[in-house]
Amino acid sequence: MMHIYKIDGNTLQVVCCPPEDVRKGDYLLINDAAAKRGLIAQVVNTGYANIPGILEDILREPSTDQVMGEDLDPLEMKPYVNMIKDAKSFTCKIRSCVVNEMLDDDISWVPSRSTSRVEKLSDEKLIKMAGMGKYHSISVGTTKGGAGVSIDLASIDGKLNIITGKKETGKSHLSKLLVLGLISRGGICVVFDVNGEYTNLGYTSGGKKGPFYNKIIVLSPGENFKVTLKYAGLNVLLRTMTSVLDLPATSAWEFRRIWDHLKKNNMLSLERLGGAIQSVKNNYVQDALLRRYESLVSTGFFTDYTEEANTLEDVLKKVKMGGALIFNLQNLPPTFRRIIVEFLLNKFSQLLGRWVVRAVFLFAEEAHLYLRETYWDDVITRMRHLGVFTTFVTNQPDSIPEGVYRQADNIFLFNFTNENDLDIVSRATRVDVETVRVIARELPPHHCLMLGKAVENFPLIVKVNPLNAKTMGETRMFFTNL
Amino acid sequence: MEIADISYTSPKDFMTLGCGSLKNIVDQSFRPRHVNLLELEVEDLDYDRGIKANIADNKHLETVGLHPIVDDTPVFGIDTSSIELGETKDGVLCAVRGSVVWRYDNGHQYTRYGPFIFHITESNKRSLYNKLRQAYFGSRDEVSAPSLWWMAGRIRNVLERWLQKLICHSCRDSLLLWDGSLTAWTFDSPVSVMSEMLHAARNRGNITLAFSKKTRLYVADRRIADLIDDREVPCLLKIDDAIRFQYGSNICFFGRVYAAKLAPGCFSFRLDIDREVPEEDGIHAVERLIGNDLVIESYPETLRLAHITTRFSASEVIGMQRYIAENYGVRIVGRPDVRQVLFGPYAGASTQGLEEKWTYDAYL
Repeated sequence: MMHIYKIDGNTLQVVCCPPEDVRKGDYLLINDAAAKRGLIAQVVNTGYANIPGILEDILREPSTDQVMGEDLDPLEMKPYVNMIKDAKSFTCKIRSCVVNEMLDDDISWVPSRSTSRVEKLSDEKLIKMAGMGKYHSISVGTTKGGAGVSIDLASIDGKLNIITGKKETGKSHLSKLLVLGLISRGGICVVFDVNGEYTNLGYTSGGKKGPFYNKIIVLSPGENFKVTLKYAGLNVLLRTMTSVLDLPATSAWEFRRIWDHLKKNNMLSLERLGGAIQSVKNNYVQDALLRRYESLVSTGFFTDYTEEANTLEDVLKKVKMGGALIFNLQNLPPTFRRIIVEFLLNKFSQLLGRWVVRAVFLFAEEAHLYLRETYWDDVITRMRHLGVFTTFVTNQPDSIPEGVYRQADNIFLFNFTNENDLDIVSRATRVDVETVRVIARELPPHHCLMLGKAVENFPLIVKVNPLNAKTMGETRMFFTNL
Repeated sequence: MEIADISYTSPKDFMTLGCGSLKNIVDQSFRPRHVNLLELEVEDLDYDRGIKANIADNKHLETVGLHPIVDDTPVFGIDTSSIELGETKDGVLCAVRGSVVWRYDNGHQYTRYGPFIFHITESNKRSLYNKLRQAYFGSRDEVSAPSLWWMAGRIRNVLERWLQKLICHSCRDSLLLWDGSLTAWTFDSPVSVMSEMLHAARNRGNITLAFSKKTRLYVADRRIADLIDDREVPCLLKIDDAIRFQYGSNICFFGRVYAAKLAPGCFSFRLDIDREVPEEDGIHAVERLIGNDLVIESYPETLRLAHITTRFSASEVIGMQRYIAENYGVRIVGRPDVRQVLFGPYAGASTQGLEEKWTYDAYL
């Protein structure tokens, strides 16, 4: 039986005696029949009720432990005493109010301590009341109680999401689940795959071609994905050279002049660009341009041969009805990686601006490895309005600026044990600190705490569904026979 | 009867009379006693009646040196406790419990009896008390019951005497440690009962020793413990004559009275040794006690464990209060605390016990 002990702000203390199986993350319904209202509160911490004298009991235990004994307890009082000693206390956060089975935002009232009935709210009932996964949705997992959890497409469409947690807790797994879910609903996904984990997503876990085999297009820059200078365009190339390769302004001006000249004479090619740079009279400018030019050429991403060159428009046509473009950035040098990302983001912005494509869902793994600082704001503001809906996936929460967390619509939080990591996430997320600090620390692998619109602002612990897809990256191992 | 039989003997009348008394609280309101987090000492009905003795000088006090004898003599300790659980409109609810601890295979073993819960009212206290006396003291004459406030202690005393009797009739060639003294009082320790128990113990080769924690003994206004040098311990200080001189006319002493300092430290206790046992045998019994039982701060471990196992903890008090509420349909009410209402923050933290005592005075 549970009773309200006290309410302080939106923190509710509930005492449970005899103890019931209520765990962190579970929801309680506090029903005040007289007020015809109820409160929905989430258990964020559990502990023993503060029973007077329990310390004395514990302190004298060691001396009686050494004493074997028997109790002639005719009234059978022992279970009552044990029940008192095991009485639990739950710290809960008030999430919502219920009036006539409908959610209400007014949580300013206080339920009756003496007459309110406190009971566990089943996951199914909560999901139904909150209206999660009612319409077009993606099934992502189950709650601890076994209720299926689906998230509405609307809750991730046009939104900024963050998937974070320590290594090997299932971040990428959820990310892949979302990618495949979006594809199945006709969404177009773009993945910056730094570890080559998404490259086999088209295959089943048994290694056979999966249902999305034709919708997963793996593009390896410099190998099966190259572009001509003409397609890249001066603006994209110049921005890449200035931001990634730190080309000085004077040299950029000279580069623009050379580019215009070659384009005017229809001579735009890598070879001629190199020749033109060689002929620059100012040695400093020539040297600066030459080094950047060689960096671009060494990537192998740019080509003069149209037959081996691609365009994003052509590739996007292949996934018109839903699909994913996996940009395999594995094993690429950091500079090359940044050049590719810079190019792609600029190009996608242009394409979205021209309505070549309606919108793309961008999945950026470990974005701090290739995204320059000034781009974070651009991604979450300007590019979002253009139609780039980003999901950041990282195991280093401090690599994402605090402002990004605050702008995030959904956070999928996996296990963290490091105090600093927990501190950053708890400070930055919009949910209360205690929820994050206590629950995230104890999440088992493949369980995540979902926060935000996807769960209608009811933080929910979800066991992520398994995937019938080859999800592992091609990590080179030494002990291959183990 | 063997030692093992202790576990198969239970004070059935405690159970029957206790449950019978509880039946008349059905559908009543119940004000549970307050259990304070800081108030670890919840055993507020301690009934140990001590002696304050002030001996004029120590000229005639004889110190007896002790030499531990290790011979595996069994040692038994007995203790009981009582506690108030709350009030009803008719009276008080209390619980009693007893414990027997004995040294066993270089360890200790215990049998605990209870708790037994009683609802004591002005109307049932007399019959309750006399039925218990009749059942356990074999007393035919009816006596008046004390005030409600003292009833729990009296019931506890009956349980303690029953346990002592049980051990006296069960054990052989053992040392029997009682909490308190070997003195007889009018109602709770009748001469006949004490005499019969000690006689039964002696007949089976047992020696009864009683340790009293409460007695305050002074010699020429100095604590008796200060008179015994740590270099002399373990030792006994024979104060029997002096004590009997002061109290002999009022109290029947079944024990030879000593001040015992069995280990270095700042404590000494009053120790009563069965008077009918030859004095030398009594002193040997103490030597066997310190040789076979652990003695810390002059107090035997067996008796200490008996005290620990019988004592009620706060969680047990709350558990019993819940048991009453659940099984007897009692409505729990919180009656306002008069002192808190009148004096607010100036009521003081340590006045709880006093306040409750005054409440019971109203029943007198």
